Amino acid sequence: MATTHAPATTPTTLELDYTPQTAPPVVDVDGPPKVHYLNHSFGWLSWLLTVDHKRIGILYLIPLTIFFMCGGIAAGLVRLNLIQPYGAILELDQYNKAFTAHGTIMLFLFLIPVIPGVLGNFFVPMMIGAKDMAFPKLNLASWYVWMGGAMFFIAALLFGGLDTGWTFYPPYSSKYSHTNVIWAGLGVFITGFSSILTGLNIIATVHKMRAPGMTWGRLPLFVWAMYATSVIQILATPVLAMAVCLLATERIFGVGIFDPSLGGDPLLFQHLFWYYSHPAVYIMILPGMGVINEVITCFSRKNIFGYKAVAWSSVGIAVVGFLVWGHHMFLSGQGVYLGMVFSVLTMLVAIPSAVKVFNWTATFYGGQITFEAPMLFTIGFIVLFTIGGLTGLFLGILGTDIHLHDTYFVIAHFHFTMVGGMMFAWQAGLHFYWPKMTGKMYSDFWSRLAAVIMLVGFSLTFLPQFVAGYHGLPRRYPYYPVEFQMMNILSTAGATIQGFGYLMPAVYLPLSLFFGRNAGANPWRATGLEWQTPSPPTMHNFEELPIVTHGPYEYALPSKFTLEDGHAHETKGGNGGH
Amino acid sequence: MATNAHAEGEGRQPIVAHHFNNIRQQQASVRFGMWVFLVTEVLFFGGVLCAYAACRIWYPKEFEAGSTALNPFIASINTFLLLSSSFTITLAIRAAYKGQRDGLRLWLASTIVLGTVFLGFKAKEYYGDYEEGLIPGPQKTLVDDVDATGKPVLREVSVFAVNLKHVLEHKNAKAKAISDKMTWNERDRTQMFFVFYYSITGLHVIHMIVGLGLLVWQLILAQIGFFEPTERHVYIEVMSLYWHFVDLVWIFLFPLLYMAGHHSMDGAF
Amino acid sequence: MSEHVQKPIVFEDDHAEPASVASSTLTFLFLAGLACLAMMIGFTDLGPAKVWVSLGVASVQGLVLTLFFMDLRHADKLTWLTAMAAVFWTFLLFLFTLTDYLTRHYYAF
Ligand code: HEM
Ligand SMILES: [Cu+2]
Repeated sequence: MATTHAPATTPTTLELDYTPQTAPPVVDVDGPPKVHYLNHSFGWLSWLLTVDHKRIGILYLIPLTIFFMCGGIAAGLVRLNLIQPYGAILELDQYNKAFTAHGTIMLFLFLIPVIPGVLGNFFVPMMIGAKDMAFPKLNLASWYVWMGGAMFFIAALLFGGLDTGWTFYPPYSSKYSHTNVIWAGLGVFITGFSSILTGLNIIATVHKMRAPGMTWGRLPLFVWAMYATSVIQILATPVLAMAVCLLATERIFGVGIFDPSLGGDPLLFQHLFWYYSHPAVYIMILPGMGVINEVITCFSRKNIFGYKAVAWSSVGIAVVGFLVWGHHMFLSGQGVYLGMVFSVLTMLVAIPSAVKVFNWTATFYGGQITFEAPMLFTIGFIVLFTIGGLTGLFLGILGTDIHLHDTYFVIAHFHFTMVGGMMFAWQAGLHFYWPKMTGKMYSDFWSRLAAVIMLVGFSLTFLPQFVAGYHGLPRRYPYYPVEFQMMNILSTAGATIQGFGYLMPAVYLPLSLFFGRNAGANPWRATGLEWQTPSPPTMHNFEELPIVTHGPYEYALPSKFTLEDGHAHETKGGNGGH
Repeated sequence: MATNAHAEGEGRQPIVAHHFNNIRQQQASVRFGMWVFLVTEVLFFGGVLCAYAACRIWYPKEFEAGSTALNPFIASINTFLLLSSSFTITLAIRAAYKGQRDGLRLWLASTIVLGTVFLGFKAKEYYGDYEEGLIPGPQKTLVDDVDATGKPVLREVSVFAVNLKHVLEHKNAKAKAISDKMTWNERDRTQMFFVFYYSITGLHVIHMIVGLGLLVWQLILAQIGFFEPTERHVYIEVMSLYWHFVDLVWIFLFPLLYMAGHHSMDGAF
Repeated sequence: MSEHVQKPIVFEDDHAEPASVASSTLTFLFLAGLACLAMMIGFTDLGPAKVWVSLGVASVQGLVLTLFFMDLRHADKLTWLTAMAAVFWTFLLFLFTLTDYLTRHYYAF
């Protein structure tokens, strides 16, 4: 395959750089720079007052990991409780609080900020050849706002808890809740504000900070995805903020906007909530999709198949994602005809997602695929996300959703997209960029093993839930009929395996900081601008303003030595086999 | 290519921050950043106005009555105050652009004064509503009523409903007519209008306070000569975008909250 | 690399001299006139049409404010896109939510 990349006129002596990267090069020729962003200053204050986008990325990484563990513990409690039909360990209200804590922490404090906060902050400026975000101080402020909101939220969960489910539906959250709805709502409001500010910053950065020659057609697809995500963040989040404001008003003053007994309408809350929260599921998946593009091209040593289609599908998802929120309300009493419209529109939103999946698989085709840990996670992502997306269509069809709504089928659907999708993409991104962020390489063996364990654990957890849900097991109930016990036990066993899987990177990644070998500037021999900086990068990323002359995934270009001969200009980094 | 215009401004800060290549890039980013922020603001107010619209579709009568009970005169004065402040801040941009320090301070200060007077009137208006007891809440009381057969009964209604009835009956003839056509249930539900009234105007007031804080800060900056390099007029411009937006919200609140009912000039004087 | 002719970073000219005092005054007077009109509408009884008429006046006011005071008329395409996005997405929110309220009482059978 490989030799067909170059044009027919290429002399056979031309040395092409198609070296498969089964193992990263052992020797680091350049060595890490003496002064880089991690060691140019020391002390707590140098971190807490930094406006460097790279350090802010690291600032996000640490609390995010902790929140993920908190959410994981809550999930563990829920799963443990479900091994017996009448509950194994938790009281009824404790069960409500546990699944609410799990859902809210994982969504608001982990999945939404994780990739934008860490990888977005760190790599968007580097990928477009900028020295920093457009508004560095705002970026730091956004981190503080987020931390403040998160602390608030965690405090609300710890002292009194929250039992409404992550959806905050009234009247569960107004009349019938005696828990910290207002405080938790305020926490959501504040973290939402941070999400808006980060999105604003990324949009302004992408528009105004690109290096010379970095045209829209040369933007890495991760940047396109982050851009689309940010658009959703700034358009949708304010409406959620407003919804929780109104909810808080209703609770504080005891008046009815959502309470039907006072003339209000609970569906009004659902409309405002899902206006945000359906697009928000794309806030949770688009950054992951962005990472997948970078990893797939690198480990297939190929240009992405259909750059434009993939780039515009991100924007398409961002736009069409706003037209479908009613599919969460089919059975809530919303107008039937409106439900039909939403059902049809929901079919539309699957198209851009499918475009991406097809383009990724086409990118594999003819590539020189190697299976490092990031690639294993990516393959896991594609398989699991496809299942998640397709089951979404079952749910989006008005008729089938009547059977499946509020069952474990929905749970399985969104865990396939959010855990199988975003969580795997996050792992892929973390493993892909870890050497760039820290300058150290982690254990090849353990990382691959972790990927496999997570995949096995994940499938064991959530595949049975499709079956259970299809047979009618409702979500959020603490008790269930005995015939579902087998399924629940399988799920809990899978969750345990998954838990081990997630603990492994938490061990070998930090260990690599001390024992890992130097990764070198470009361990994966990737082509993006971010890899042309030393690892870890220096303070201002680029010593001089980079000038961009070609697209982001020119893996098929001859190596730079041959480029200097002036022979290979015509290759446009074609798409592998013809 | 990228001209590094690291000219030193007044004070120690360079005019062009380290991560920008030139002043044009910086100005464009700042301006664009504010526009994007205003998009989120539009959707923020859009959310509550959408809820307002949904509720008004269900309860047109209650919204009419609620709006009738409000004070349209203060709101009208406030409209003009806010429009004038939009005008003065536009003049402030021009002064900053031309490097007229005194003009800049004058127009910033007038904007602040106009905004503060607006808030003063607003406070007066809230106080009036409070005096009239137009505060929604769960407190109940008993009133005389008749049941379906015409037999007199005692009926539990919200304190708010009683106050509303009182306010409408003493306002003017039209308001009294509206009130007479209402059932107690409807009077109770008029609280919903007031929830919207307080929350939307409250949010608007919060935006005004934030804006005034920023304006005061800019006035101080103008005082110490921060805007001496005229390139920095862009910060005044961006501030004005925010301020105009606050004005824009008010322009829509005025018909939706205050003018949704029946007002007549009778009660004016 | 002849085909990759390097362009310098150029930003679309989103910059214009701030409006003159005369033009700002004119804008202000126009807005104030419309505000008077809004008040007059507020104090007359137009029945159900009132809300539409007064919203219409408010929209004109808003348009003048954005075009002239916020200087959108001199802004670049990107700023227009941003402003339009705000309008369009608010429209979407209203469109679907209010459709629900206006059609909920129709049954499908
Ligand atoms: C391929 C396109 C997708 C379609 C057609 C789709 C469709 C649906 C539908 C119809 C429901 C409502 C089910 C019900 O409550 O009865 C649903 C629920 C859900 N989906 Fe998706 N989905 C898609 C992709 C995604 C993605 C990518 C994510 C997240 C990353 C996601 C996350 C969720 C979540 C969290 C819920 C449950 C919300 C709740 O708590 O009620 N979905 N999906
Ligand atoms: Cu959805």
